[in-house]
Order: sequence, then structure tokens, then C-alpha cells
Amino acid sequence: MSAILEIKNVTRRFSGLVAVNDVSFDLQPKEILGIIGPNGAGKTTLISLISGTLPPSSGDILFEGKSIANMPAYQRARLGIGRTFQIMRPFPGLSVLDNVAVGALFGRGGGNAELARARELARAQLDFVGLGKNVDQRADELGGPGRKRLELAKALAMQPKVLLCDEVMAGLNLVEIDEVIDVIRKVRNEGISVLVIEHVIKAIKSLSDRLLVLHHGEKIADGDPETVLANQAVVEAYLGKRRA
Amino acid sequence: MKALQIPAVVIALIVLAAVPWFGSDVLVQFGINALLLGVLAQGWNIIGGYTGYASFGNSVFYGLGSYGVGIAMVQWELPFAVGLAFGVVLSVAFAILLGIPVLRLKGHYFAIATLALAQVMTAIVSNVKLAGQNIGLVLPPLNNDLLFYELALGLLVVATLTIYWLSRSRFGFGLIAIRENEEGAAVMGVNTTLYKVLAFALSGVFSALAGGIHAYWVTFIDPESAFDISLNVKMIIMAVFGGPGTVFGPIIGALSLSAVSEFLSSEITSIAGLFFGVVVVAAVVLMPRGLADMLRRFRTTGWRYFAENIKATRL
Repeated sequence: MSAILEIKNVTRRFSGLVAVNDVSFDLQPKEILGIIGPNGAGKTTLISLISGTLPPSSGDILFEGKSIANMPAYQRARLGIGRTFQIMRPFPGLSVLDNVAVGALFGRGGGNAELARARELARAQLDFVGLGKNVDQRADELGGPGRKRLELAKALAMQPKVLLCDEVMAGLNLVEIDEVIDVIRKVRNEGISVLVIEHVIKAIKSLSDRLLVLHHGEKIADGDPETVLANQAVVEAYLGKRRA
Repeated sequence: MKALQIPAVVIALIVLAAVPWFGSDVLVQFGINALLLGVLAQGWNIIGGYTGYASFGNSVFYGLGSYGVGIAMVQWELPFAVGLAFGVVLSVAFAILLGIPVLRLKGHYFAIATLALAQVMTAIVSNVKLAGQNIGLVLPPLNNDLLFYELALGLLVVATLTIYWLSRSRFGFGLIAIRENEEGAAVMGVNTTLYKVLAFALSGVFSALAGGIHAYWVTFIDPESAFDISLNVKMIIMAVFGGPGTVFGPIIGALSLSAVSEFLSSEITSIAGLFFGVVVVAAVVLMPRGLADMLRRFRTTGWRYFAENIKATRL
């Protein structure tokens, strides 16, 4: 099976700082790929490079075999790349329903969508992530966990082929984390490839088919979760040399 | 509520359309001014209210519309309608050419950049021979206030229908998404650059048409009055006072503030100049979402509405 998303030697510099350094990996169809790494490892930068809000300094990104590295973010969204933001970006003045409807209006398969139809799709998506009761609320009235779910619903309403989740579990309690894990599994079962960035190692270990570790912008491990977490370099990155 | 709204709008429209038949000349002249300000406020509403880009460049569109009519009618002896079309073409061209660089700026920077555009245009037009340099152009007089009144009213209706369409169309949702969070809109598939430029141009179309009608009505234009920045300030105040990003807010703002301003300038001339300044402060502090929102929510929240807004501004 050919990869749906290929990252090839991608580097991103912010003047002197190299946030992502020569990283390569791919994402297979229907795969859940977890990316972990300490703070400042370049995880969010990597997601921004894939979704198109940041251009790479060098390297190439292929989506379904075609280069998207020079494509603006909105075109990538229409091809089928949906993302959530770690720092949640709802449209604060709009209702929860209309926040999600924007995704249905403009995402993949959008373009000629009717508002009424988009709202219908949005309602279904909100039920799916467990926000069905909050459709008429204003987005800025939602609390933290609600906003995390809203981020997911907004991205899913675009009917993406690849979903990029930037710390959707941060700040949630254990019950809420289990619910989100459940949602992500269901998303994958619908045939969507998922890339999950996470801090909570326990959560991501059980969720991911494969795990990739970033440290100081470099990929230091890539493989099945058990093996990767036992890797000496990974333990050192997280705990420091002496403890390991 | 919704069922009552349509007949109410129709009745208001019939009354407004009938004003020239029962009103005095002064009232009709006031009406033409107020309706054109309503069009300008609605035009600003598209870029400022819906898209969230506080444009100070709309008076440039107004001026280009005025000069489109002036140049076509005086220099080329073409009919009024052709002049209007010419003004619109100038405005759209301006919106696209300057919108692409200027709309990359956000917030205050966008406001300041557009503010400069009006000043630059005054200087440029003052040196263009075709536009009568700094002396201006005198248009052929047409003493028909009824026609100007109904034209202005018709234009306001078209502008409002356009905004109504925006409020429930994919395009309008794209603009609102840009206003609420531009990066968030882009990753959801909104072509932000295209949408912003289109909104700027659409905003320009209405401003240009208002400018064209005004030019033919007053039969005289010069660079200072055509690109008058205080007109831009007025449209912002009216749209913000009435309710930016709403369908009827800017009309309510334009008509009510025109009336109060007219009354003050004839009765108490000394403080009339202060009026718009006071309105800005009051509107921003007490009802940042505009009159329309205040009227809707006042019934449920009462005076707490103002208290909450004052708290929200952290005075």
C-alpha cells in the first residue's frame, strides 16, 4: 500500500533556530501515527508545515503522491488535510454549530455546499464528538474540554482524508481522554489516516499503531510503540541521561 | 418575530419611498444624504463588519465613483449611467490592485495603510488634468430631487439585499470565518486572500455608486470633498453604532445618526461638532456590538447589558 502522506527531509528554520531538522516519515492509509517529544521538540511546527500555515525551509511533502509543499493552506484543506490547533482557534462569535458548518462549507467536497446541508452535516459531526447538546451555544462559551471537541468536530466536518491532531487530549481528565481516544479510533475506522501529537504518553501508547519521537527537531525513533518507548535514546530525551 | 419582520420591512420601505410625495424639499434633501450615508455604511459593513478589516479606504471608492461620473459626463459627454459604471470599474480595479498588498496587513496596520490611501489619492487627482486638477469638475445640473432620492433608496435596498445574501451564503460564512480567526479559516479551506479582495471590491462597488449619485446631485466635485476622510469616519461610526456584521444595523445607525446630527447642527451649532466623537465613545464602551444587538438583548438583560459591556472593556 502506498503512503497517503510522505514527509521527505523537511527542515524548518526560524532565523537561527532549527525547529524541525531533516525529518522524514510517512503515514499509511487508515494508520494512527503518534508523534511524541518533549516541549519544544518541533511537534506543532511539523503539523503547521503539513497543514500549510508555515512553509518548509527545505524538503518536500507529498500528499497522495503529489507535492503540496508550495500549496497554500486552503488548497491543502480542500484536498483533504484537516487539522486541530493546540491553542484552540474557534470562531468565537459564531455558534458551535456554525463553527463546524464552516468546515462542511469549505472542506473537501465543499465548494457547492448549501448552508442548510452544511449545518446538517455539522450537527451530525457534533453528535459524533459528543457536543450534540451545545449546538446553539456561542463557541467562546464552551469550556476547555468542549473546545477540544469542537476543534475535532471542525476538522472532521471538512471530511478529511488525513486528520492532524495537535494535543487534543492536553488538559482533559482521564474519562475525557478515553472518550477522545474512542472518537479517534472511530475516525480511523471510517478510513481516515490520523496523525496524533501528544504529551500524555500513556494515552498515545494505547492509541497509536506506530510511534515517532522528535527531540530538538530531529527524529530519534520510529516504530511500534512498545519498542520505541523502550529505546534508550527516547528514555534519555524524556528523563535525562543520569536517570536513565 | 421572523414573521413580523418581513411586513415591517416592506411597510418601512413603502413609507420611505413615498417621502418625496408628502415631505418638504428640505426633508427630501436630508433623505438623499441620509440614504447615501446608509449605502456607505452598508458598503463598509461588508469589509469592516463581516470581514473584520476596518477600512479607512472606502472614501477612496466614494471619490473614484464621483470622479467616474464627473469625468464621463463632463470630459466625455457620456450619459450618467455610463459614468456610474466607469466609477465602479475604477473602484474594483483599485480594490484589486491595492487590496492584494494592503489586505496582508491586519488590525491597526490595515487601518493606517488605508488611511494613507485617501491622502495619496487626493494628491494624485489634484494633478490629473482629465479630473480637472485641484479646481474640480462642474457637472451638468439636473434639478430632480425625486429621481436622486429614489435612486439612493433603490441603491440602499440593493446593498441591503446583498448583505442579507452574505449573512446566509457560503461566501458570507467565509468572510465571517476570516473575521473571527483568519488562520483558522485558511486551514478549513477558505481562500482568505481571494475572499478579502472580493469583499473589498464589493464594498467598493457600493461606495462608488453612492459617490457617483452624490456627484451628479450636487453637480460639483473637487479632490478635497471627493476623498474626504471624515466621510469614511462617519460610515464607520454609523455601521458600528447600528451594529457591524448585521443586516439592518448600519441602516439604523445611518438614518438615526443623520437625523440627530442634522438636528444638532441646526439647533445647537456649537456642540454639533462634538456629537460624532461622543457617539464613538458611547458606542464602543456601552454597546460594542451595536444598537441592533442592544435592542435585542436589552429586553432580557436590562441595564445589566451596559454594566457588562463596561466591565468587558476593562475600564
